[in-house]
Amino acid sequence: MGRQQHVRWASLKVAAMLYAGVTAVTLLPSTAAADDALVIARDIDINSLDPARGFCDTCQIYFSNVYETLVGLGKDNATLTPRLAASWEANADQSQFTFNLDPGAKFSDGSPVEAKDVKWTFERLKNIKGGAAFLMDPVTSVEAKDAQTVVVTLSGPNSEFLNIVSAPYAGIINSDVAAASGATAAADAETTDKAEAWFLANSAGSGPYVLANYKPDDELRFKANPEYKRTKVAISDIVIKHTKDAVTQAQLLESGNADIAMQIDPDTAKTLNTENLNVETIPSYNFLYVALAPGAKTAPKLSKEIRQAIGYALDYDGIIEFTVGGQGTKTPAPIPNGFPGTSGLPEPKQDLEKAKELLAKAGVPDGFEIDSEFPNMNSYGVDLSLLSQKIQQDLSKVGIKVNLTPVEFSVWRDHVRGDGIPLTVSFYAPDYYGSAQYVQFFGMMEGTPWFNRAGGKNDPSIANPATAELLKKALASAGEEQEKAYHELALGMIEDRIIIPVVSPNLVLASSKKVTGLRYSACCNLLMDELALQ
Amino acid sequence: MTRYIVRRLLSLPLLLLGIVSLAFLISHATQGDPLASIVSERQMDNPEVVAAAKARWGLDKSLPEQYFIYIRNLLSGDLGTSFRTKQPVAQDLLERLPATLELVIAAMLLGSTTGIVLGVLAARFRDRVIDHAARLWALIGSSTPVFWSGLIFLYIFSVVLGWLPGPGRLDARATPPEGLTGFLTIDALLIGDMGLFWDALHHLMLPALVLGWTVMGIVSRLVRASMLDVLSQDYITAARARGAGEVRVLLNHALRNALVPTLTIIGFTFAYLITGAVLTEAIFSWTGIGSYAVDAARSLDYPAIMGVTIVGGAAFLLTNLATDIAYAFADPRIRLS
Repeated sequence: MGRQQHVRWASLKVAAMLYAGVTAVTLLPSTAAADDALVIARDIDINSLDPARGFCDTCQIYFSNVYETLVGLGKDNATLTPRLAASWEANADQSQFTFNLDPGAKFSDGSPVEAKDVKWTFERLKNIKGGAAFLMDPVTSVEAKDAQTVVVTLSGPNSEFLNIVSAPYAGIINSDVAAASGATAAADAETTDKAEAWFLANSAGSGPYVLANYKPDDELRFKANPEYKRTKVAISDIVIKHTKDAVTQAQLLESGNADIAMQIDPDTAKTLNTENLNVETIPSYNFLYVALAPGAKTAPKLSKEIRQAIGYALDYDGIIEFTVGGQGTKTPAPIPNGFPGTSGLPEPKQDLEKAKELLAKAGVPDGFEIDSEFPNMNSYGVDLSLLSQKIQQDLSKVGIKVNLTPVEFSVWRDHVRGDGIPLTVSFYAPDYYGSAQYVQFFGMMEGTPWFNRAGGKNDPSIANPATAELLKKALASAGEEQEKAYHELALGMIEDRIIIPVVSPNLVLASSKKVTGLRYSACCNLLMDELALQ
Repeated sequence: MTRYIVRRLLSLPLLLLGIVSLAFLISHATQGDPLASIVSERQMDNPEVVAAAKARWGLDKSLPEQYFIYIRNLLSGDLGTSFRTKQPVAQDLLERLPATLELVIAAMLLGSTTGIVLGVLAARFRDRVIDHAARLWALIGSSTPVFWSGLIFLYIFSVVLGWLPGPGRLDARATPPEGLTGFLTIDALLIGDMGLFWDALHHLMLPALVLGWTVMGIVSRLVRASMLDVLSQDYITAARARGAGEVRVLLNHALRNALVPTLTIIGFTFAYLITGAVLTEAIFSWTGIGSYAVDAARSLDYPAIMGVTIVGGAAFLLTNLATDIAYAFADPRIRLS
């Protein structure tokens, strides 16, 4: 054998050994040291870690656990509880609120939470004009009376303001620390604030956790805040691992690589081996809806009678069965069940005869054709494509031919805001516990997003003249009177039939059996300080 | 050859500029709202908020202005800030590129070596059991969708058998090493943490196997076809007549010639996978360039789209150059000029 051949054979042997070695390694157990961090699998949809700019479901979780709000939401998802504010009072017409801060509250750097921080946070939230700036729309001034007292004055009565300040986006920031890193609350903060990048790597709150590390599309790590004393924090390290789809989340949970999976859909939940898992399915406050736009450029005639006919033509039970395997509830009005004003609302039902009768009355007995564009995505476990196909099928039964076009969300946003989309589907999740936000988003009155998207400027007849007055009444009242006003508003939105809620998908809480304290919060999604590992 | 390489390298920036300009025009011509990941749905009808966001991200300027600002910043090394992650695009790419390269290199090594071995065996034992088995294996590999094989492999090897970990590059509870190469296997070795090294290697196995299986399918079929062609040549008969051993005939005379077309495919596949391993990345929660590209495109994140285009373009151009050079080594008759 020549030298060259020797070398070649030696090379081949080395390559073969390396290859065999690499393959054999797959059979060796992993020896990586794992600490006792709690791992949560979910699709991280963060668009900012700055409370004045972020606006997303994972942002709600992050802000709730890192930045304390003045007021919290109790376990019944309805009662307001003290958080940074030990107590509060409102004036007679609920246009001015005084908050007395907890003197023991401290930020994660050990400095006390003071009234100046509340003032700075609220003013910054308003002036940055970010995702949740609308929360501060009713605020005209914030005054720090002394270190522990804040007085917030509103432009008018607003009985829901306490609920608004319980929203995670209104979490209080350590103003000294943030300002030193380029943040500002000045009137021109939208252009002069330079702190967004800083917030991606640092936190400055008083909540039970601090930011340990954030890698976009990878993971969000929390560490317990040693200065936090309001509750006992049982888990020192928590990792939210970016896991896009429900099946992979389920696999991570089943294999023990995750302790909680947050977005498992009901169908996937049925496949879980529950020997070592807790799987609970509970109603959520999220819902998906059909939206009609009579004023859209290409819309056919969509009078109130026709819109009501569409409402009667939909098979609500069938939609719930088809989209979430029966794991959902019907929502009569575009206000989630259980929110003020929703008790006793008429449940939506399919009535094809009534639908045909209304179409005949409206002069279109043989139906018509309508274009429908929808965002091609999955939202809260519902595939919007499947949902749209079911709607198409239902409406064909009364002669309405729906032409479906799936588009990317960014394209949908462009179109729904531009010429309008005659028929579409979308989704909504609450920003806090309270019904006014729904009227302000879906109500048929000047200035609301859906009044504009439905083409209110081209077709002012879709406006409901009672809405604005009723909302004002609801915001100025309390107790039964308030409940009654929201109930009337809900009935009005049902009659308008611009927004037709079709399914409120149930939420699957899936976790390892060693996890305790897991629950769904209407304001905050997940409160980590309530979690513990057995 | 050195002059050839230098000339090709010098033409790279010009070609990249062309690619960038085209990508800029196409992405901006696409219908959609680039503010989708900046302004919340609740605020998108608020003209004040929309105007503030447009001004902050430079979207209030005309298209030519935006283009010239982008090119000016690009020349100074600034790729802009991602609308979606809010981080500098260069930082996003640097965080994701090592993850993709680690996966793609492992998959290419597994796929190419297995593919070449199977291709050679299939050609040598044409129409026998080995050939049929190799072709069937290759056919399944190249025709099975990655999203399906990925989920099945995960279920079998991770959930049922528990031999390999689930998605991710490391155990979610482990702390990744910071500030080194970004290749977790290499970084773990550099810091001398063997536990972390095994963990990173274990996490790499399944996605590399899934992706490598596809590569293996393509390579083995090509190698088999080329080998069959070469093995029927007169010089192979002549080599055998001179008494050359079968291994020598196969490896020295046949494979070397059969490899030339295979190198093109290997090079092309490597470059393609830099941005094209998106399904594998999605299933295995692998934070790489592919999923970054898809998310950027879906949300019309212009700076990120441009950044990925530059990386993808450079990968193709450099791989083409590397393939041309490899030709010259594989076949001495080829002269680069």
